Amino acid sequence: MGKQVAMVMDLNKCIGCQACTAACKSLWTDDEGQEYMLWNNVETRPGPGYPRDWEQDGGGFADGQLQYGELPERSAHGGEIPLNHEQAFSSGTEIRLQQKEPMGYGANQDEDTSSGTYPNNYHFYLPRLCNHCTKPACLEACPVRAIYKREQDGIVLVDQDKCQGIRMCNRACPYDKVYFNYVIKKSQKCIFCFPRVEQGVAPACARQCPGRLRFVGMLEDEDGPIHKLVYQWKVALPLHPEYGTDPNVFYVPPILPSSFDEQGRFSEDPRVPMDYLRYLFGPEVDAALITMHEEIERKKAGKASELMDLLIAREWKSLFNIPDVRVA
Amino acid sequence: MSQVDIGRREFIQSSGVLAAGLSLRYGALSDAVAETPLVYGQWEDLMRQKWTWDSVVHGSRGVNCTGHCAFNIYVKNGIVWREEQQGEYGHSGEDTPDYGPRGCQKGLRQAKYMYGSQRILYPLKRAGKRGEGRWERISWDQATREIAGKFVDYAVEHGPESISFAMGTAMILKRAALAALFRFANLTGVSVPETFAGVGDLPIGAHMTLGMALPCDTMAAVFKSRCCLIWMCNPAATRIPDAHFFWEARYNGAEIITISPDFSPTAMRSSKWVNPKPGTDAALAMAMVHTILADRSIEWDYVREQTDLPFLVRTDNRKFLRGTDLYPSGHENADSNVFYLWDEATGSAVRAPATGEKPDENETLQLGRIKPALEGRWAVDTPDGQVEVTTVFELVKKLAEDYAPEKVSETTGLHPDVIREVARIFSSAKPAMIYAGYRSAKWLHGDKIQRAWLLMCALTGNTGREGGGMQTTQLPKADGVMKYAFAGTGPRLRVAALSLWDYAHANHKEVTAQVYGEEFAEYIDRHHRESVARGWIPDYAKTPWKMAIFAGLNPANWRASGKSWRETAFEDLETIVATTPDWSTTAMYADYVLPVAHHYERQDIALEGRTPYMQVIDRAVPPVGESADDWEIMARLARAIAKVAVERGIPPVDDHIYGRPIKRDFSTLEEQFTLDGQIGDTRDLVQFIIDNSFGLPKISFDELSAKGIVRVDDAEGTQFGKQSAYNYQLLASVVDKQPYKTLTARQQFYIDHDWFLKEGEQLPMHRDPISIKGYPLRMLMGHARHGVHSLYRDDSLLLSLQRGEPDIYVNRDDAQERGVADGELIRVFNSYGSFIANAHLTSGMQPGSLFMYHGWDPMMFRNRQNFGAVIPTGGLIKPTSLVGDYGHLNFKTPDNVPNQTFSDFTCDFERYSETGHESAGNTGLGRS
Repeated sequence: MGKQVAMVMDLNKCIGCQACTAACKSLWTDDEGQEYMLWNNVETRPGPGYPRDWEQDGGGFADGQLQYGELPERSAHGGEIPLNHEQAFSSGTEIRLQQKEPMGYGANQDEDTSSGTYPNNYHFYLPRLCNHCTKPACLEACPVRAIYKREQDGIVLVDQDKCQGIRMCNRACPYDKVYFNYVIKKSQKCIFCFPRVEQGVAPACARQCPGRLRFVGMLEDEDGPIHKLVYQWKVALPLHPEYGTDPNVFYVPPILPSSFDEQGRFSEDPRVPMDYLRYLFGPEVDAALITMHEEIERKKAGKASELMDLLIAREWKSLFNIPDVRVA
Repeated sequence: MSQVDIGRREFIQSSGVLAAGLSLRYGALSDAVAETPLVYGQWEDLMRQKWTWDSVVHGSRGVNCTGHCAFNIYVKNGIVWREEQQGEYGHSGEDTPDYGPRGCQKGLRQAKYMYGSQRILYPLKRAGKRGEGRWERISWDQATREIAGKFVDYAVEHGPESISFAMGTAMILKRAALAALFRFANLTGVSVPETFAGVGDLPIGAHMTLGMALPCDTMAAVFKSRCCLIWMCNPAATRIPDAHFFWEARYNGAEIITISPDFSPTAMRSSKWVNPKPGTDAALAMAMVHTILADRSIEWDYVREQTDLPFLVRTDNRKFLRGTDLYPSGHENADSNVFYLWDEATGSAVRAPATGEKPDENETLQLGRIKPALEGRWAVDTPDGQVEVTTVFELVKKLAEDYAPEKVSETTGLHPDVIREVARIFSSAKPAMIYAGYRSAKWLHGDKIQRAWLLMCALTGNTGREGGGMQTTQLPKADGVMKYAFAGTGPRLRVAALSLWDYAHANHKEVTAQVYGEEFAEYIDRHHRESVARGWIPDYAKTPWKMAIFAGLNPANWRASGKSWRETAFEDLETIVATTPDWSTTAMYADYVLPVAHHYERQDIALEGRTPYMQVIDRAVPPVGESADDWEIMARLARAIAKVAVERGIPPVDDHIYGRPIKRDFSTLEEQFTLDGQIGDTRDLVQFIIDNSFGLPKISFDELSAKGIVRVDDAEGTQFGKQSAYNYQLLASVVDKQPYKTLTARQQFYIDHDWFLKEGEQLPMHRDPISIKGYPLRMLMGHARHGVHSLYRDDSLLLSLQRGEPDIYVNRDDAQERGVADGELIRVFNSYGSFIANAHLTSGMQPGSLFMYHGWDPMMFRNRQNFGAVIPTGGLIKPTSLVGDYGHLNFKTPDNVPNQTFSDFTCDFERYSETGHESAGNTGLGRS
């Protein structure tokens, strides 16, 4: 059995800045035909996400059977649209500065759109990329077997030489993380920055995250933070485990500030309804949050906590349990 | 059995399941592969080839996010391909997280943005009407010759002060760029409007209290805090590179409590969120003071030594007891700057150490044998008879009675238990911090918020403590910059207070009268007139306003009362020059536009305010088009001005600065500017600055460029040291017991200036924010997440990660009442004006309030009107900010000048329907 590279994202540190999105975009998806692609995106949840309502599109496995869902509409992605600077500033017209054509529903349209009722409203940021699943639905769905999972690191790739743009992968991926390049007519997706990982450099979205929330390493490495967070402390959970693809991207669930009771006093009730967190991260989220709360309380009481120290990550490089070589 | 063992066993089990699953699932495929083997991965080289580059330099942006993050700039095929954080920084202090990697989405867009369609490539001259967007491309020679001609005309006829030289934050955080602009200003005598208080950022209440406006430590100090109140500030969106310290501190057991009416991105990440009504923060802070006093959770010795709380105040006239009260005129002790304590040891009033007109320089705050009383009333004999005195502490206690949590509950909208609980978390945490940005200073009575915060910090002994106290920002010392700016001439720089300049040159009084009523306008104007008459503030009305050079500044975007400012002060300018890398409203209305080099096309250094590193900015590629860096542009302008002066035989111009006559010789301006050729380009200047700056490691530019960042001197801890390039003034008082630079030589909470007494503001207190009658909603604003002020709001990717156009956050119920659905356009309006934006509905907004990130350019709005069309606050200047003749309270740019404020107004909104074809309509800028 091969090795599996994995990522843990601590949602309590994500500030929705989109540095990961920008880092990924300029490195990999800056060509024509890719304008609407965000291999990495950050969406506000609860919310329709990117592409819009992706959770309604289906895919994944049900009772072991591969499911073919709906193809997400191109218009559900928004996309980078150039602005009309020349027209606005130097054409002698009075047209305002704007996107050359309306973007429609944007990839981050609902940024900070909070749910619930003020002041017990709630929302948080969810960064997403390809999960490089252990059971990739995209791979199984490809009729020409253009998708493969690498032995050495478990990265799932669409072989661009073999892809014929049939887009079954797109329908099968329950996370809508495969995109169609409409210029070269091929499916494209996150490559987990394999050229970097091969050189011991963490993926751009992780290494360039100023929030220091992305741990990267081999899932099997028992001394690494990923293994500890996923298997030892069990505070890092896959997104929608019920989709059946066994993702290798995991999330530390969010703990939002105290809520208020009806009189306006601080309340112990969680701000985010547990049902919503269970919907996203499965039933394990209850235990994960209890562990998180217990360890935070230990720190408040001045006691030691290996888990909290792991998540604090006093050394930035400790996030990356792959050798991090300097690239300049 | 350890958890590791459980984990391992479970992992092995689950791996086994997966492996079995895989083999089953792919069994058929495996067979097929065996028959027709597929070879994968040849295409992978394409991707490996993508992640290659020709060269790398170290650089940064040096704009006014103040982040100055360390980046590698990658060049491929002659253009900048992308950028990535260097990443590796060190730590400040013991047991803290390191700073790496820093950076943000704006920084990560610059490789693309620099080639964007907003870039200005050539000198341009207006060919149509102002704002019409018709341009003629001209040569640098023609541009500088024509600008120089006008410059000399105005300087000779009206004096150089008639030329406003406004330096913007697109430039001036780059040290050499700042030095170039400052030297030009220092030599020529143009008026430089300061843009700290000018944008409403100056915590003047901190200056009133501490004798310095900007108390701040490194960002790592946040991790040392056990309770951090993030108050009127949104670092999750505005301090992206360093915000991690807050959440790491939370994991370390600190309470991170965000105090904000709206559920901001920072509130989301905090352990508690407290949501007062907008503008009631001083009431909340005073209620916390009430709780701290009632609990008597006070650091008594700190308070006795470091503050004026034990100082004696006469109960008859509410003035401090002074030497002049106790001794007859002419007596050697009759010193109005000597103040008194009630010494419990001797039962008498004794002189407070280090107070007086000219105290002994060696005298410190140390009390020695004095045991100052904090509570009590006493009789003191004076030549005029007995007077009763009490302490400032007693007056604070009395005042705090009005701020019991039950009493401020209605004002703030908060439950009294919430106020008490937060106050107690704050007072019991050692240390405790108030992390304040700039937003408090944007309220008319923001000074009182800052004074109340500092009172909380003083009572609990937190000011100056590691991980504690009020945090704003640090402005690293600029002595190397000034040495160049002032070389050969000494300081002859003419800095102007922007708020007062605008008051004189825009129709602010009329706007105030129209919107807030005649009485209020006259109240402000009366104090303004009186302050001018007393010589407390300058009279800018005497200075004509003929020409402006906006160097990297976009004031038509952000001025308070922006709509009418543009129609008056801005449009009245006879000549407008914009030097800028990118298009903006200000450039659009300029007569000349000069293209500035992008951050990756130049050389410079930057110093981060809260991260102890000097950052190189090195050139990755030559400037595109004909753009040039700031030093080069100013050198060209200096050369052109000298040429005109020589051609016209202009003798040195008579000028006055700081009350003394001087001559300004324009004919030798180029030689003066270059130090007779000593500085040949920006790189020379960078080296000059490094070599001449206190607290910076002496390093060659080449070595700095190779390293990217180097740590500044004496900044190993979370607080900057004495020998660092950062302000040590606060620690000099708290740690080294040096007197504060205030009238009382203490943290001064009581200000007995007549105007403060008259306004009832002698102590920190709350006053309700000002409303516009008939308009129920408060509009709040803050620094942008996806831009740096007005910069980068038009980046194509960042805009696509917002709503593609300016949006404004609206409470769902407020929207429903007005029949507005999410994403629809609304017209936000009040009696001053209106603008149109996309309604972003959210449950995170407090009912009755709106929130909009600032910086959206008017050019992005219908009718070219942005939020400046509903913010009529330009003329709101509070009397207490105009005082003089009182110790540290004297007009002094840029440290102690009135803020231009932006928050005291209300508005309403309605659904807006666009009829027919999209059009910007009339520009709304011309008066006829």
